[in-house]
Amino acid sequence: MNSLFFRLIRSSLANRPYRNIATVFVFALIAATLFSTQFLMKGAEQSLDAGISRMGADILVVPEESSMAGQSIILTGQPTSFFFDNSGFESISRIPGVAKASSQVYIATLFASCCAAPVQMIAIDAKNDFTITPWLQENPGVKLGKDDIIIGSNVIQNVGKDLMFFGHNFHVVGILDRTGTGVDNSVFTRIEDAHVMAEESGTRAVRKLTIPYGMVSAVLVKVEPGSSPQVVAADIEEHVQGTKTILREGLLHAVHGQLVATLQLLYGSFLAVAIVSIPLLGTISAMVANERKEEVSIFRALGATRGFVVFLMLAETCALAIIGSIIGITTAAGVLVIYQDYITHSLNIPFVIPSGVAILADGTGALVLALGIAGIATLYPAYLTMRAEPYEVIRGGES
Amino acid sequence: MIQATGLTKVYKTGKSEVRAVDGADLDVNPREFILILGRSGSGKSTLLGMLAGLIRPSSGTVRFKGRDIGSLPDPAISELRAREIGFVFQFSGLIPTVTVLDNVLLPTLFIPARPEARSYALDLLERMDLADRAGAYPRTLSSGEMKRVAIARALINGPSLLIADEPTGDLDAYTEYEIMDLFRQLNNEGMTIVMVTHNPDLEQYATRIFGMDRGRLVERSHVEHAGQGVMETGLLRYRMP
Repeated sequence: MNSLFFRLIRSSLANRPYRNIATVFVFALIAATLFSTQFLMKGAEQSLDAGISRMGADILVVPEESSMAGQSIILTGQPTSFFFDNSGFESISRIPGVAKASSQVYIATLFASCCAAPVQMIAIDAKNDFTITPWLQENPGVKLGKDDIIIGSNVIQNVGKDLMFFGHNFHVVGILDRTGTGVDNSVFTRIEDAHVMAEESGTRAVRKLTIPYGMVSAVLVKVEPGSSPQVVAADIEEHVQGTKTILREGLLHAVHGQLVATLQLLYGSFLAVAIVSIPLLGTISAMVANERKEEVSIFRALGATRGFVVFLMLAETCALAIIGSIIGITTAAGVLVIYQDYITHSLNIPFVIPSGVAILADGTGALVLALGIAGIATLYPAYLTMRAEPYEVIRGGES
Repeated sequence: MIQATGLTKVYKTGKSEVRAVDGADLDVNPREFILILGRSGSGKSTLLGMLAGLIRPSSGTVRFKGRDIGSLPDPAISELRAREIGFVFQFSGLIPTVTVLDNVLLPTLFIPARPEARSYALDLLERMDLADRAGAYPRTLSSGEMKRVAIARALINGPSLLIADEPTGDLDAYTEYEIMDLFRQLNNEGMTIVMVTHNPDLEQYATRIFGMDRGRLVERSHVEHAGQGVMETGLLRYRMP
């Protein structure tokens, strides 16, 4: 393409600054709303994947009455304590398709020096655990011994320092990577240390903690390769009375449920902006096309094909769409990154900044959509411009 | 070079009809300088528009080098205009947002790119005595300068036919002389020119003169003295192969 073509576009755009600023703003709005919607969805999904992967389980088995609390532990880390009889553990381990099972005890702590609010303590069965053990294997040299804790990324303390819960001192031996889920607000210790902490709490803490022996909060299940988590989960609920299973899909569904109002608002805004923008951009393009009828006719008289004129008009609108989309996408990304904690908290969803590839894909998607709208908005004005007899336009109707 | 047969253009406004051009026949040979004289509203510009394929005739045909331009698809007729026909409008028709040089280069956008186009455009501007205005914008030029830029633009792709619609209509007498002298030089070098004007003083430049009145075209005289290639300005050296 001749550089003169680009100079024509640049000079034409520079010649109508106010109208072009309005057009750029509309495209920025379109791209920002679509990008934000995708960004939030992907951020929540990737966060959930990271959280579930951190827990290492395909199925989380909790007391029937505590299924919502069980979800909250993974999704948002809302501290909670609940128990059920660990006798079901043996039954769960024997269900076909269950590869591994591991009990956990969930304890909502009191206020601690590390944190602005109580945190979730997760006490693991070190012998059968597959939540923290893989992390320990990836971090040789770190051991979860007596009175040791591994903390989530939101719990403020350094490795080697102590944290006190219920008057019991724990030694921080590791910090988990951020997942954006409730895991970030949790601390992991061994079940036996949690029991010692509970026994001591009567004299050392402001409130006594009770962890009944033989009771656990949840059983995490890893299914055998080739087995369906859904089928195994249904078997567990059927064979172990009083339990409820939580699967990744169920968590995703819960997240979507929490996001639905926000997504509806964002999709609604996007649709409204898209619907309003097409005629609006069309009108702006039509005004520009009308002003440029003579210029276009001169192009035609000098040898421009209809295709060239349409291409020129499309290129001008697409240039505005690209500028607007880049502004919209970068602004939306900036706001979402800067206010991610506020968004996570106010929407009550797990959230991490999506991967670079996902951001690029979302940005490209928003850009392509903006270009599509630019194309649609340009076609009719271009058609109107083409319909006139070029030489009559140049002559202004004289014969 | 170009033959128009029975060219008619009828405009309908409500129930009334206006025959802007009424059965015009015109046969233009290479190296001719055709002048079409007529008052405003006589239909001469509409005739020019139809000759260049820019206005669809109501009836009649235009053949350019044997090709019926009415039957050509848009890309073919556009290419013909870009390569074969140079246009000079009554008003300069320059694009105000780009420089003089870019205005001259504009028609090169519509044919395959040629690396030498820029140097030829600068050369043309130099011959038009506008070399120092190449980077200027049209609004800073005088009427005569604008017209010379428009002529340079019309010549950039090396056309075989120059169509000029009242090119001196808005110029003072001295500038009119300058522009017409330029046309004469082009014609002397072999350029075929079809020009319309309402000014009978310009008859002296033409090889054939037509009159146009209420849409009807009538040949008035045939002059043998012009178009003999006696001067060499180099303006037409850029002929397309």
